[in-house]
Amino acid sequence: MPNISPSPGRAGGAAFPFLRRPSGWLLSLLLASHLVGWGQARVAPPGAPARPTRLGQAAAPGRTTVQYAKGFRLAYAGNYKVISIQNPFAPQANVVRYLLVPRGAARPVGYPDAQVIETPLRSLVGLSSMHVALADFLGAADLVVGVGSFKYVSAPRVRQRIAAGQVYEVGQGKELNNELLVAHHPDLVMTTGWPGEGVDHFQTLRAAGVPVLINSEWVETTPLARAEWVKVLAALLNKEAVVNQKFDAVAREYQRLAALGHQAAKKPSVVVGLPFKDVWYVPDTDSYMAQFLRDAGATYHWDRTKAPSGSLALSFEAVAPVALGADYWLQTGSLTTRAALLAQDARYAAFAPVRTNRVFNNNLRTNAQGSNDYWESGAMHPDLILADLLRILHPELLPTWTLRYYQPLR
Amino acid sequence: MNPAPPTLGAEPQSPTARRPRLTQGLLGLVVLVVLAFVLDVALGPVRIPVLTVARHLLGHGAAADTATAFIVHQIRLPKALTALAVGSGLGVSGLQMQTLFRNPLAGPSALGLTAGAGLGVALVMLTGGGGASALAVRQLGLAGSWALVLAATAGAASVMALVLALAARLRDNVVLLIVGLMVASVTGAIVSLWQYFSAPEQIQDYLLWTFGALGGVTGPHLAVLATVVALGLGLALASAKPLNALLLGENYARSLGLRVRRSRTLIILSTSLLAGGVTAFCGPIGFVGIAVPHLTRALLGTADHRILLPGACLLGAALVLACDCLAQLPGSQITLPINVVTSLLGAPVVLWVVLRRPIRAAA
Repeated sequence: MPNISPSPGRAGGAAFPFLRRPSGWLLSLLLASHLVGWGQARVAPPGAPARPTRLGQAAAPGRTTVQYAKGFRLAYAGNYKVISIQNPFAPQANVVRYLLVPRGAARPVGYPDAQVIETPLRSLVGLSSMHVALADFLGAADLVVGVGSFKYVSAPRVRQRIAAGQVYEVGQGKELNNELLVAHHPDLVMTTGWPGEGVDHFQTLRAAGVPVLINSEWVETTPLARAEWVKVLAALLNKEAVVNQKFDAVAREYQRLAALGHQAAKKPSVVVGLPFKDVWYVPDTDSYMAQFLRDAGATYHWDRTKAPSGSLALSFEAVAPVALGADYWLQTGSLTTRAALLAQDARYAAFAPVRTNRVFNNNLRTNAQGSNDYWESGAMHPDLILADLLRILHPELLPTWTLRYYQPLR
Repeated sequence: MNPAPPTLGAEPQSPTARRPRLTQGLLGLVVLVVLAFVLDVALGPVRIPVLTVARHLLGHGAAADTATAFIVHQIRLPKALTALAVGSGLGVSGLQMQTLFRNPLAGPSALGLTAGAGLGVALVMLTGGGGASALAVRQLGLAGSWALVLAATAGAASVMALVLALAARLRDNVVLLIVGLMVASVTGAIVSLWQYFSAPEQIQDYLLWTFGALGGVTGPHLAVLATVVALGLGLALASAKPLNALLLGENYARSLGLRVRRSRTLIILSTSLLAGGVTAFCGPIGFVGIAVPHLTRALLGTADHRILLPGACLLGAALVLACDCLAQLPGSQITLPINVVTSLLGAPVVLWVVLRRPIRAAA
């Protein structure tokens, strides 16, 4: 799967309704040409801007376009915006719509099922650490007034505000503290859920007039598509200009690094994850991790294996022969030392990456609470993660880069 | 379907005539265990010809083929040996519990030992998982496999101490059974409470543990597990005569001169070692303890524990080895959790035995 895939929901679509279908066709053709021309993409000179970036630059002022993500669409019409969240694997199934209306303006006609959110947001409750990262990326960390759990916050600005008592903790799922939320009445509660999932679980909050938006960035199959969900929050904050500039910078840098990775002469083999007794979960072809490995110029044994859940539950015996001869071993749970790794299972000592000290974990930025910033700010900075991976797998390509999220096991 | 009187009544009349048949039965079980063991080592997600496996086992494998050697020596052989220990341990402890409590539904979990082990593991995995102290523990490497084994052992041992202390005071075995069930219920509730307040990834780790696993028990772990199971089996064999007497009921056993409380302590100690040890290393493995005693009695047609104990030991080993073969789904890269396979297979087996009995009685 190519990591560059124009979204069918371009901004122009809503402004020029008649263009919507033809432009969708054109974009499919564009996508198809990318699929066919994947081999050529590898020989593109480094630094050459990829096509989708140009699409982004073409966005009208005050607007942004979705270039990579398939799980949501963003449309502009009149003075309001429409965010549609859908299942990219079943686009016709439940689409949940949110109407973003300027504060005080009348509700637009149509969209009877859509939930109305008044913009720009003045306060935000983010239940997952990813949501904190979205706000922090847009320079809106001060709008975060509530989080799911204090434990899972890394952003320094939000940690400061937690220490100062300016942020409340509302829990997750069934434990969600509805009374606290109703009492504080934030402008939006952002939660994580299935694409197309309605807000039925949040009847109490809806009845109290607290809007709930269900984010499902985890369905995306590429790191850039995942990070692009920041545009949802940007639309809610009227920060389209900021997001166009900042996200495009990330995307451009990512594409530049990916070109380096694709060009690498050697493709070292990699195993990912930490087994638990008999079972070893490894990323499948549609996972963003597999895309990272492709773009970092790695050889990944399950690069083309599909699994319904995004990861394969393999038996230890199925992975062990690959691990025995692999060049690198990445993402070993919460471990930081070789001794701890071998304490889990002495058999790991036979794996080549352990013998040659080429085991790297993504937990360099774990704070005192045990929260790993890889899952927070890392989600917004696929460029930095890719740079780390390139530095690990191809040290000669980025000789001066200092690892930001990964560290070698001591 | 109380396992007790009918067959026992017939037993003493012709002990010599039945003995050769029973010996044959046991020998047949030995052959079955050997076959299942070989099959378990030969099968797996990675296809390796049986002859190659045999060559590696005999130490004549090609030196260059490190992957095959690793799979045979480091993965399949320890796993099959673990299955052997697990099966014999759970089978025997289940038999002891069914006789002690004179209850066909009793099993190794009846005393609350499995629940106790689960509590210990949950304590390590769920409470304070993200806290600073737990992080320190993790960085020391204590979250390695020994930490889980020690936690599970401590949990099972504390439940065992409680049950033993109560057993010394209580005359009635049924009350002891109720105590075991209540302990299991309370520990289950505590674990649920911790789960409720834990992060999803911690719950996932704990869930994986509750699925049970025969893999990952290697080297020193396997040595400790084998020692504990051997000790428990030794104590169990020593309890064969008291178990036979207990079949007649506690009062009768007492009138035969059996020191009931001492025998009971011996039996509980043996079961605790077997069930606690197995659960500590492999997680909860269901139904083997309940199904194997029924199967053994049906197969050997005796109630003499001098025969039944080795029989349950062998049949348990064969059953778990067979379940492990099935769990590996030959030709697939996936291994099913062993606890799922034993339960899927065990429940119909128990049903079959239960439904078969009245038909045989009518014949």
